[in-house]
Amino acid sequence: MSQFDQELDARGLNCPLPILRAKKAIASLDAGKVLRITATDPGSVKDFEAFCKQTGNELLASHEAGGEYEFLIRRH
Amino acid sequence: MARRLKAGERRASILAVAKVLFADRGYHGVSVDEIAGRLGVSPAVLYRHFDSKEALYEAALTEIAGQRESYVEAVLSGPDDFGSVLLRMTRVYADSVARDPDYVRMEMQGMLEGAAAAQQFFDSRWKGFTDFIEISMGELASEGAIGQVDARTASLMFQGVVREALYAKCILNSPRHRDIRLDDLIEQLVGLFLNAIGYRRP
Repeated sequence: MSQFDQELDARGLNCPLPILRAKKAIASLDAGKVLRITATDPGSVKDFEAFCKQTGNELLASHEAGGEYEFLIRRH
Repeated sequence: MARRLKAGERRASILAVAKVLFADRGYHGVSVDEIAGRLGVSPAVLYRHFDSKEALYEAALTEIAGQRESYVEAVLSGPDDFGSVLLRMTRVYADSVARDPDYVRMEMQGMLEGAAAAQQFFDSRWKGFTDFIEISMGELASEGAIGQVDARTASLMFQGVVREALYAKCILNSPRHRDIRLDDLIEQLVGLFLNAIGYRRP
């Protein structure tokens, strides 16, 4: 089981809503804390890579199983 | 002597030429011979990659319908209130269409071809907007930040307005709108939309 501090359910949402919600969720975390995001939009893989690259947060994990995507992002 | 293209490169070059021609004249207005002629190859080369003209058309339509914008930059590059994000998203989309107007032509062709193609275009291009508008309006309504407006109708209105602006500026080059830059037109239209739904900026 992945370790995380807060969870965001973005299943059923298309870009930009998962990114917008992740931005707000990350902002509420202290540095070093981890946000887990679940999504169903296939485009979210590239979107969260770009999100982390641009925000400086760390993408700890990104994987897919059964059409669901999971991302673990650590706030910098 | 020209380098012989690898299979993937050849397929991509066929699709690129087919996309432009089909976008301009539709399925019935273009022949396989013409596509082959543009590429400088024989029709037999096309048939090695696509079983039929119909298969080539469907591949071109599918490729262009599946193009999807990323709005990561639009979200991160400024304030994250609904109106600001919607404006930046719409600008990203309009810029993309202005760079490749064949997309809009193929969307129009797709509409004529049938529901499946139209749905594919909607899912990859418009659903991000409609979901964003409808879900955000639901949240804004609960905060009293917009008027009493049906969100689904509002998102349909937005889609219609933006699509029409793109037709006027990118396809028809309409003289009525020639004096206004696409970016400024988009800003005005998004502003009108926000007024129409009674949006109050935070």
